[in-house]
Amino acid sequence: MSTATMKRPRSAAPGAAGSGKLSFPGVLRGEFIKFFSLPSTMILILATIVVMVAFAALGAWLIGWSMGMAAESPEMAASMGDMGEATAALPTSGLAFAQLIIGALAVMVMSSEFATGAARSTFVAVPTRQPVFWAKTLMIGIVSAVVATVSILLSFAVAKPIAGAYDLELVFSSEALQRAMWVGVLYVVMVSLIGMALGALLRNSAGGIVVLAALFFVLPLAMGGFSALADWLAKAMRFLPDQAGAALMQLQLAPGGLEQWQNGLVVAAWIVIPLVAAAVVLQRRDI
Amino acid sequence: MITAEALTKNYGTKRAVDGVTFTVQPGKVTGFLGPNGAGKSTTMRMVVGLDRPSFGNVTVNGRRYAEHAAPLREVGALLEAKSVHKSRSARTHLRALAATHSIPNTRVDEVIELTGLGAVASKKVGGFSLGMGQRLGIAVALLGDPQTLILDEPVNGLDPEGVLWVRNLARHQASQGKTVFISSHLMSEMALTADHLIVIGRGRIIADAPIEQIIGGSNVPTCRVKTDSAEDLMNALAAENVQLTRVDAQTIQVAGLDGRAIATRALDRQILLYELTPVKQSLEEAYMALTQDEVEYHSHLGNELAATSTGKQG
Repeated sequence: MSTATMKRPRSAAPGAAGSGKLSFPGVLRGEFIKFFSLPSTMILILATIVVMVAFAALGAWLIGWSMGMAAESPEMAASMGDMGEATAALPTSGLAFAQLIIGALAVMVMSSEFATGAARSTFVAVPTRQPVFWAKTLMIGIVSAVVATVSILLSFAVAKPIAGAYDLELVFSSEALQRAMWVGVLYVVMVSLIGMALGALLRNSAGGIVVLAALFFVLPLAMGGFSALADWLAKAMRFLPDQAGAALMQLQLAPGGLEQWQNGLVVAAWIVIPLVAAAVVLQRRDI
Repeated sequence: MITAEALTKNYGTKRAVDGVTFTVQPGKVTGFLGPNGAGKSTTMRMVVGLDRPSFGNVTVNGRRYAEHAAPLREVGALLEAKSVHKSRSARTHLRALAATHSIPNTRVDEVIELTGLGAVASKKVGGFSLGMGQRLGIAVALLGDPQTLILDEPVNGLDPEGVLWVRNLARHQASQGKTVFISSHLMSEMALTADHLIVIGRGRIIADAPIEQIIGGSNVPTCRVKTDSAEDLMNALAAENVQLTRVDAQTIQVAGLDGRAIATRALDRQILLYELTPVKQSLEEAYMALTQDEVEYHSHLGNELAATSTGKQG
């Protein structure tokens, strides 16, 4: 490189740089170029889909196997109850793990800007800052919705014949499956947007991912474990994003749970509040 | 044109930039000179809005940078080499930035050629040397063909050819009527590149003047004289505004008289001079003289203590 020749400086040909202004569609296009230029993006998207499909296949096989066992012992059959809802939930059964993968991807969309110093280039080009934040939000929303839809559909396609082999019927148009699918997509979008907001607030990939995992794994487990000791803990738990999201996916209300419209509000709040907080902090803090 | 008014930046209790007021004129290369930690980078970051001023304000061509409709066409900035994701190629980085302002990809290829990055444009930036990172940073700065260039230590890590190229680029852009603002801690480089100098130390402007004036310093003519009759000559030259320094047995440094005056007086006393040399202060010396009290990090403990006490007085 040290021998590479630098050309004599010359002024650009008239109009070589065009005359375009800074615009939101331009910023969005820039974000998509950056997003898909990283190898990690495709790896994490593929990992999300693989995990979803694998869980659906494994789940279908497990349900079928336990049905076979139940046929031999009537007591066990009685304890299992109706398998219809469990079957309908098969295509979304991998969400608990897949959410963390795509959530981590969403954290890094923001945090990597700061970790690598790319934020300097980004925010010199877009000094108003907000267009970058909302372009990333829109992009993450679109990408996570598409990835969730594709992986749920693929999971359905893989789980249906396996379940069919055990005489379990997986009906695409059933109310339970339709609800699980569309709320499942919304759920993934929520996780991703919380992840992106965490990335913007903490500016650190590891920190953002740890907090995201704590929010969706550790906190529900810990609160669930102690909820027997304190009634208010069980009540507070209903406002965690994964609890509200999971409840929203069910057709039947759990006893003591929130109304569905309340669950919807909780999910909406978990999307809006972190995003607004992150947008405000991004505007105020130095890059 | 860049205009800063009482620009101030505090980081916690530390004041990095302390009420600086200056104007960077178009059509000139303005050097921004100061020791490490003097506040150069912070000032430049405030110009492009990465840092928010604690007090005061700074405008580019009459507006805050963020208020321009096409910021990249207004200002091109190189702030730190490798302001790029390591796993991204140089070309993708440029294209993503170009997309924000609808700058065509042909312009991206053009700045890649212009900065000599053609051979490595498709490679990941993580493997770039410091010099290549600088070239990419300059390519980003040139992308929007801006009216104003802000380059923070652009020659860091460049080979001699690259240094020359940056110098020519800066001079060429200025000759086109553009505003060029370059920071450096290398005085020798600034002496060759800049028309005007703004010297900063400990967050304050120490000097803001055309480069000749700073090199000229106090404007007192100084000469170095050699003679075998040093004592006689010193008696002959002694006067109220003349400062005489005996360098060695034959050599005297005379400040306050020009060569003609010294020679005339020597002739009157029949003193033979066999050397008479005007001493010009170099930019290095001028800079050291200007910044000796303002250096943030001294290399010796004694100086450090001195600097601390100066700091307390200030």
